[in-house]
Formats: sequence, C-alpha cells, structure tokens
Amino acid sequence: MTDFLFDVIATELEDAVGRENCSTRTIDKLTHSVDYFWLSRMWADRGLRMPEGDFIVAPKDAKETSAVLKIANYYKIPVTTWGAGGGTQGGAIPVCGGIVLDTKRMNKIYDVNTQGMYIECGTGSIYKHIEWAANEKGYATMHYPSSLTCSTVGGFLAHRGIGVSSTKYGKIDDMVLQMEVVLPNGDIIETSPAPKHAAGPDLNQIFIGSEGTLGVMTKAQMRIYEQPESRKFRGFLFHNMTDAFNAGRELLQKFKPSVMRLYDEAETASLIKKIVGVEKKGAFMNIAIEGVKEIVEVEEKLLLSTFAKYGAEDLGSEYGEKWWKEKITFFYPGHMMDIPQCFGTMDTIAPYDKIEKIYWAMKEAIETNFPQAKFIAHFSHWYEWGCMIYDRFIVDGKDVPQDPHEAFRLHQAIWNCGVRTALANGGVVNDHHGVGIKLGRLMKEQYGPAMQVFEGIKKQLDPNGIMNPFKLGL
Amino acid sequence: MQFTEKSKQHIDSCRFCWMCHHVCPIGNATGLERNTARARALGLSMVARGAIEYSEDIINNVYECSLCGGCMKDCVTGWDPVMFTKEARLGAALDGKLPEYVMKMLENFAAKGNIYGTEKNPNIPVIGGGDILFYLGEDTRAKGCAKSAVELLKKAGVNFALLGDEPISGYSLDFLIGAAAETKAVMENCAKTLNNYKKVVCYDPADAKVMKREYKEYGVDLKAEVVTFTEFLADLVKSGALKVKKSDMKLTPQESPILARDLEELDSMREVLSACGELVEMLLNKKDTVLAGNLIMNEYMPEVMEKVAEGRWVNALNMDAKILVTACTAEYELLKKTKPEGVELMKIEEVLLKCL
Repeated sequence: MTDFLFDVIATELEDAVGRENCSTRTIDKLTHSVDYFWLSRMWADRGLRMPEGDFIVAPKDAKETSAVLKIANYYKIPVTTWGAGGGTQGGAIPVCGGIVLDTKRMNKIYDVNTQGMYIECGTGSIYKHIEWAANEKGYATMHYPSSLTCSTVGGFLAHRGIGVSSTKYGKIDDMVLQMEVVLPNGDIIETSPAPKHAAGPDLNQIFIGSEGTLGVMTKAQMRIYEQPESRKFRGFLFHNMTDAFNAGRELLQKFKPSVMRLYDEAETASLIKKIVGVEKKGAFMNIAIEGVKEIVEVEEKLLLSTFAKYGAEDLGSEYGEKWWKEKITFFYPGHMMDIPQCFGTMDTIAPYDKIEKIYWAMKEAIETNFPQAKFIAHFSHWYEWGCMIYDRFIVDGKDVPQDPHEAFRLHQAIWNCGVRTALANGGVVNDHHGVGIKLGRLMKEQYGPAMQVFEGIKKQLDPNGIMNPFKLGL
Repeated sequence: MQFTEKSKQHIDSCRFCWMCHHVCPIGNATGLERNTARARALGLSMVARGAIEYSEDIINNVYECSLCGGCMKDCVTGWDPVMFTKEARLGAALDGKLPEYVMKMLENFAAKGNIYGTEKNPNIPVIGGGDILFYLGEDTRAKGCAKSAVELLKKAGVNFALLGDEPISGYSLDFLIGAAAETKAVMENCAKTLNNYKKVVCYDPADAKVMKREYKEYGVDLKAEVVTFTEFLADLVKSGALKVKKSDMKLTPQESPILARDLEELDSMREVLSACGELVEMLLNKKDTVLAGNLIMNEYMPEVMEKVAEGRWVNALNMDAKILVTACTAEYELLKKTKPEGVELMKIEEVLLKCL
C-alpha cells in the first residue's frame, strides 16, 4: 500500500469513528498483536513483534461498525475483531495486518430487564461488568469462566465460551436471547426476538462460534437469573477415573448440579494440592448444587448416595468452598502455566461412551511422543450425555528450544498429535476456547466435506474474504 | 530506560495477564486496550527487551494511568503495576523524555509553587495558633474550596492553624515523576513546616498518603502525626465535639481509592455518615471502590476524566443513590462537573454541617 493510499484510508476510518478512535500508534498496534495465545506470548517474550494491524479502530456502535466494514470492503482490507484479547487460540491476532476492530467502546449497558430476565448490552462490555449490573439489581448472569473479568460479551460469543456453572445454566449459547450483528457488507441485522423457535435455523447459532469470520456482533441480550437461595459444595475423592465418570453420569440422570469438576490424579496432585490443599492421592471431584433451599437439600442426599455407590470418599464442604473462593486464583501469574514453559489446553468433548477412551488415548499419545511434556487434565463441563476434557500439556522452559521458530514447531506438533488423537477417538477440535489461527488447519480434518457448509456461508456473507482471514480454517 | 530488577519482574508478570482488565477506571472510560495494566506492561517489557524505543508514544501511555491501585488490589498474586508505572515515569524524567504536558506542570510548579500554575487563592483565610495544622493541599488550594471544612472545625472548637504559605506535600510531583530528587526535596521542605505542629489534619487523602507512606519510603523525616480529615471528623463525632442529629438523608459514600486502598481507611467516613443519616452503599465500595476523578490528569486528558466521573455516577444511580458524598477535592470537582439531574453531591463536611 502506498503512503498516499494509507492516508486516504486512515482519514476515511477517522471520519467513520472519530479521529481519537482510529489509531496508528505503536502502543495500540503492539497491544493488539499479543493475545493469550502461547505463540504470541513466546514471540513477545523473545523480543519479537507479532503481526500488527495497520489501523486500530474502535467504533461506538453498529452504525460506526458498519461504516468501518464498508470501507474495509471497498479497499479489500482485512478486519480482525478484538474483544479484550484474552483468547487462547490466536483468534484476535491480525495475521494479515489491516484493521483491528476493537469492540470495547461498544460497552453500554442499555437495559437490566428483570421482567424479561436479560441484560441488553454492547458486545464490548466486559462480562464482569454485566455481572455487576445484574448484582446491583439482585440478580446474576451465572456465567463464571476464569476469564470473566477480562473477556467481553462478544468475545465469549465469538468462540462459544463456557463458565464453571455450565451444567445447570449452560454455555454462552444457552444464555443469549437476541443479537445485533453487522454483516461484512455493512448491513445491520437483528436475530430473532427469541431463541428456541421454529422460524428456520437459529441465526444466533450461525454467528456464535464464528470468531469474527462472518460479521461483527455489536449488541446482545444475555440472560440473568435470580441469585440461588442456597449453594452447597461437596468435595469427593475417587479411587480412579472410571468410577468418577460412572458416578457423574448416573448423577446427571437424576438432577443437574451447577458445578461438576473432576481432576485426574496428576492434576489433583499438582494444582488442586497447591490451591485447594487436597493432599490425598486419587481423583478429586468438586460438586456444587444450588437453587431453592428445599430442593438443594434433596439433591445433596441424592449426590451422597449416588457417589457412595462408587466408593467416593466424601471430603465434606471445605475443599469445595475453598475451590469456589479460589476458582479464579488458578489463572493469575504465579499460579498458572507461563512463559518460558510451552503449554496448551486441548479441550475436547464427547459422549460418555468415548470420553474416557479419549482421555487415555491423548495421555498416551502426548506422553509417548513428547516425553518432555507433562499431561494433566480435568473434566469440568458435564451433561446428561457426556462431558468435556480440559487436558493440558506443559513442557518446562529448559526443554523448549531456544530458537523461537523451533519452539513454535514443537508447540504445533504437540497440538497436532493431541487433537488428531481426540478426533480419531470421537472427540472434536475444541470445546470452548475456539479455533483461531491455532487450530484452523484441523477443522477440515474434523468436518471433511461438511466444511463446505461453513465455506458456503462465508463466501456468501464475505465474498472479499476480509473478515478475520485464516481463522477457523476459513 | 533502565528498569530495576523488581520492576522487570512485575512487568513480565503483568504483560500477559488480563485478570484486572475490568477494574481500570481509565480503561473502562476510554474502552481502549492500551489503558490496561497488561498493555502498559507489555509495552514496557518490549522496551526492556530493546524491541521498541521508550518513545513518546509509550511514555504517553504511562501517563494514562491514574495510579489508583485497582489493578494491584485485584491481583491475588501481588503484582504491582503502580510501582512499575511510577518507575517508568521517573525513567522518562531521568532520560529527559517527559511529555510536554508534564513539563508544563513542572514549569508551573517552578513559577507559581503549584503544578496548576494558579495564583494564591485570596479566599482561603490564614489562621494562626494551635498545635494542629489543617493542611488543605495543592488540589484544594488551586481548584477546590474548603470553606465548609473550616467552618465545621471552628464549630467543633478545634484550635487549628491554616497556613498562608502552605508548602506542597509532594503528592503531585510524586504522581508525575515518582521518586526523583526534586520530589524528595519538596517533601523534605514540607516536612520542615509540618514538624512545627503536633498533628497534621490532611483535608485531601492524597496528601495524607504521601506524608504517611512515601515520606517514610523516601527517608523524609516527619515527626508530626498525620491524620486524614475523615478520621479526624469521625473522632470529633465520637468524642461529642460535634453533636450530630441523625437526619433522614440517604447518603452514599464515594471513598477515594487513596483513602480506601492506600491508607486502608474504610470506617471513618461510614461512621460519620451513619451518624448523619442512612447509609446507601454502592456495589463497588471500600477497597473495591472506583476512582471518580483525578485533577492532575484532568490537566491533560479532561474528556477522559469526565467519563471516569460519569461512570461513577452510573454506579451510584444504579443503587438509587440520592446524595453522593465525597471526601476528596479531585473527585468532588469532577463529580460536580458531571452531576446528573435528580441526585445531590455533597462534601462530608457539608453533610455534618447540615446535621448539627
């Protein structure tokens, strides 16, 4: 691009969003080039600069977003949407340069609607802020991922995020009613006024999980709930994972706890010991049940009797309460995996008939092919039909190649190995962190010819291919 | 730019951590990614690695922080963005790279004795006598008004002094250039005056903070006892020197982050307001309080400061606050500027005067 054309585009973008909201400053380009993806962090740690956007643009609403996308389409400039940058898959990294569209100016909370039980907000709102808005009226969002404080509503929708209370309250796609979306051509649309209808396919679900490849979500109505009258915790220690899976599956045929988290022996002996203080060997499982007091009491009885059948040791409420209190502590520096380690979370999901097999297969594949890697896992989102593995590999800094390109190769190779093993055993590319640039290449391996459905939608909505190129395998 | 090893450690810990993203009053007001502790840390970490220059651009970002400590309070590990931000400001001063707007404030200080460059306020009386010094501070003398506070202390029968040539505490210089020699010299000069009194009652929490904390850290010899105005008022109420009649006012405290987090004073304001009326808390209170304004930053980013104050009004209105009460000049002035209809703003001394 010539300097002249650069200035032409800059002035048009400034005209669209205001000069102060269109930046070419080093600090803005730099901070929008490093997200929570291991690669971008490793790169920056070694004093290298990741690909940067040319223009960092922050529209205040759908209208300004529309203007930006029209400019981008005319000049055929890539647009990468940025929420708060907490994504782990490199979905927000502007790998082709162009425009980074930061959504955080769209952070208005329009309505805390206690009649309709939703909050209407700009998708640039930090989720914790809408939780506070709900709390101020005596309600709660019940969406409590570890990234609650550092992710936007749009960010969670873009990669189909999930929180710790998912078993009872669902995933982010269960929590949204209606959305406003700006299509790549600049058209502003609204999805249906209510979800769960028969008026054709659910438009919400086309954009949720699309990671900025099909448009920009600019406004959303997110569900709120009454605060539970009672919330009780119970920690258990299982002799082995098989017993825990069977116990969990049986419990879910009876009722839905809010939190269900099973940690494998390795993670129980490391993270859980460190943060929660469980010293014993085994697989730790934490359960929370909540809601109306009388129902919680009945559920607690069912929980104890069900888990007793599988030989679980009842650790009482202390560890569970500690875990609840510390649930975000795990993710602060000093408690979490960090550079110079090489690491990744290969979360996948499958029905109960496959999930344990996937766990053992992934564990074996990683530990056999990459003996320098430690493999730990927990199972933190459970349904009546199956659950999710949150399995992680960690390579100590001393075993990570000094050459950043070689370090990257090692990282990619472990990911290929882990995800392909999951796919071969009935899992999926990812459960709730998304795909981004990190896993795009594996999407076709999961979907095969079904990938043409996504490609067709992409081609129709974004014929110039400007929206978040090379993400999601599109 | 040379960082201390301690700063480097904190910068490297914060550069890839997003956990405090939600608490930054500046980031929440601007919606800009660069106004987060992690963005600032990332920029500085790249400077430390020689990947980018410590340029005007990065330095401006360092001055977009209010040092309110919200991020520090939120961090369960104990990393401290305030510390490395102050060090980066000192570094800019030592490297001769201070932004123009900072230089202007320093020139104002050299010429007029305060960073705002204002003339001495003729409306502030000079009161002699007593072993208690009522210290108004730079913000109040340049931008605020302490008439009601003086009236209240007189009504309580406090024998206090109010200086005509009050030296500045060093708070503003500490904010702008950190632990520079000039800051320490100003603090030492102030301490000499303060040491003529047994007790110093600081009207502005910002001055109390540096006197109680930075003076000690920088080795400034301060013998006088320093108390905050709110603490002093709470004692006057408790002792009966101020006889307060409870009213039907619904009072919502806006405690400054300096009072709540730096000085860890959480009760005094509430004790006073509870004696005067019904306390209506905001959701984010005590150590979770949110900055409502900073007058130094108002000199170079006034639109953002207005948004910061507006944000706090939203918090107050969400709790159906009727009267928002402050104990900090900067916050009062910015909240006054942005006050919406249908709600009142009062200083703590005004509330007390109404209840005597």
